[in-house]
Amino acid sequence: MPTLTYLQAISSALRDELRADDRVLLMGEDIGVFGGAFKVTDGFIEEFGPDRVMDTPLAESGIIGTAVGAAVVGMRPVCEMQFSDFISCGFDQLVNVAGKMHYRQGLAVPITVRLPSGGGFSGGPFHSQNPEAWFMHSPGIKVVAPSTAEDAKGLLHAAIHDPNPVCYMEHKHLYRRVKGEVPSGVFETPFTARVARPGSDLVVIAYGAMVPVALEATEDLDGAAVEVLDLRSLVPLDEEAILDSVERCSKVVIIDEANATCAAGAQVAALIAEKGFESLDGPVVRVATPDVPIPFSPPLEAAVLPGVDKVKEACRELLAY
Amino acid sequence: MSSSPTDVLIDVTMPQMGVSVAEGTVVAWRVEPGDRIEAEATICEISTDKIDTEVPSPATGVVTEILVPVGETVDVGTVMARIATGDGAVASPPQPLDGGTAGAPTTETKSPSPAPVAAARNGDRRYSPVVQRIAAEHGIDLSQVPGTGRGGRVRKQDVMAFVETEEPPLHIESPYRPEPVTPPGPVAEGGELSRMRRQIGEHMKRSLETAATCTTWIEVDMSRVEAVRARVGVTALAFVARASIDAIREHPSINAWLEGDRYTRHTDVNLGIAVSLGDDGLIVPVIQRAHELSVEGLAARVRDIARRARGRELTPDDVRGGTFTITNPGQYGSIMATPIINQPQVAILDFEAVIKRAVVVTDADGNDSIAIRPMTILGLSWDHRALDGALAAQFLASVKRNLESVS
Repeated sequence: MPTLTYLQAISSALRDELRADDRVLLMGEDIGVFGGAFKVTDGFIEEFGPDRVMDTPLAESGIIGTAVGAAVVGMRPVCEMQFSDFISCGFDQLVNVAGKMHYRQGLAVPITVRLPSGGGFSGGPFHSQNPEAWFMHSPGIKVVAPSTAEDAKGLLHAAIHDPNPVCYMEHKHLYRRVKGEVPSGVFETPFTARVARPGSDLVVIAYGAMVPVALEATEDLDGAAVEVLDLRSLVPLDEEAILDSVERCSKVVIIDEANATCAAGAQVAALIAEKGFESLDGPVVRVATPDVPIPFSPPLEAAVLPGVDKVKEACRELLAY
Repeated sequence: MSSSPTDVLIDVTMPQMGVSVAEGTVVAWRVEPGDRIEAEATICEISTDKIDTEVPSPATGVVTEILVPVGETVDVGTVMARIATGDGAVASPPQPLDGGTAGAPTTETKSPSPAPVAAARNGDRRYSPVVQRIAAEHGIDLSQVPGTGRGGRVRKQDVMAFVETEEPPLHIESPYRPEPVTPPGPVAEGGELSRMRRQIGEHMKRSLETAATCTTWIEVDMSRVEAVRARVGVTALAFVARASIDAIREHPSINAWLEGDRYTRHTDVNLGIAVSLGDDGLIVPVIQRAHELSVEGLAARVRDIARRARGRELTPDDVRGGTFTITNPGQYGSIMATPIINQPQVAILDFEAVIKRAVVVTDADGNDSIAIRPMTILGLSWDHRALDGALAAQFLASVKRNLESVS
């Protein structure tokens, strides 16, 4: 099994899909000749040509709207938002057109929107956001967020195969930092949660870039057996896995890199309060980015993002409760 | 009570099989008093409305007594049996059960080792949902659980550790100590009761498992019976018995035994009459050759067997050879039942209360009117293996005709 970076795994999935399925095409800003802002599609235009690796104008609504039309007539478009922050320009096409198409016209819209997201590299307020909760709140759209190289590939395959619009949150901070063995060829990772590390004293629930943070923070936490649950999919949310972990551990810390209010973790907390109440042995604790834009300044950015130290502290507090 | 005063008696209680299960029925005992049993060996089988299960013995020792007979249904926590362990453990002084809820563990054997300060503060502490749930499931008094959380809070691991220290779901140390001089009278009588109840239970259960039991009802106008019996001075039961015997003459297939595949139709009508012995149970003495008796003769025999049954004077011959049975629990006002066939007979007639009702009667000219009539509902449980519903209905119609034409 080859060892790939998170970014290489994404490239591998795209390449395998383009090779396997003529209906698959890529659209995005500078993904062709330039090979993508992060070089995910480096070399693709040479292999697949400009008709299947399309450089688009700087118009996200045009990218998504075109993809919706292509999907309705049978294609499997994969759109790249250069930065997930820019999805706001394509919001109407994604939320109102793609998300509602099945309910209004009974038509499937099998598009995948790749959303390079997250901060940690001094990208500032326009290039560091985690907008996944916007789409969790919009019926008709699935939202997935891999944290490992293997899941990056498997979830992207599953997203492209899925008959619904899928927001694929790929975390920029993980692109070259996360490596792992990834099976070759086409395989699907189910839209379910994954126990990244089993435990019994406390569970940290996270997704995307917060999974490695959770694992590092709780690797040696005064001997406590801390479970880490990687959600992988936010829509659908794997309620069974979440409640199972809560039942086992009874204490829960939920991490969001997104701004705290109405984040994915807020939904998880609500679920636990409603359906896991009788398993709880302490308050549901959340660690999330405060409701502020992500600062450019490296020390300020480090101050707002959930990091290893903050997670450690939250876990210690709750363990002692 | 053979246990020595130093024996530690362990109660075997009806276990809590689920949060919604409030009672259970003893199906079978695997031991008798005096038997030795190992801890965790099956001591009895119980049945709840949800499941059947085996109850493991809570201790190794000698069964001193069995308090709940087979077939009896008791509340969760009820002491079903006692086991003398005689292991030299120090007997704690007797203490009363807490309001009958025997599920609560005795606490003096707990050893709350750590955090005495925390334990002292538990009284004014709130408990988390999971701690309360675990405590409820295991019947734990949380005030006895030492807390190791912040400020002495009882955490999940604290209550789990407490549960593991002493798991009390199936037994508690018995608060009961045998009096060395005075035998415990009520308990001995309980033993006698249990055998009869057990026999009744086994018999009824076997009948239901054996026969294809159906019940057919018919309404009978008892006006003429009531009028005549007031004059003659006998019970209505005697008239029902006579009417049934006459109906058997018309439909002799009802007066039969079915043993496996072997069907025997009887010429004599040996009529069983169910006699209640109050709380003790029920017995069915038999009026031999009842077909030879008049209504008055039947009434006299019914009085005689009932008196002797209640005086415990019946001989084995008095309860043998029945070919058809009548049960008559109507004196309490009940109007219908589904009696269980007295094996190996093929039918049983249920005669309940006679109640005045407004009924439609038709005169000789065909005019309908509403009249007040003493009515009863006769129920015949019959074995579908031996006969079919048409015969049961014909038999009942015949009984009805006989009763409504009494003179």
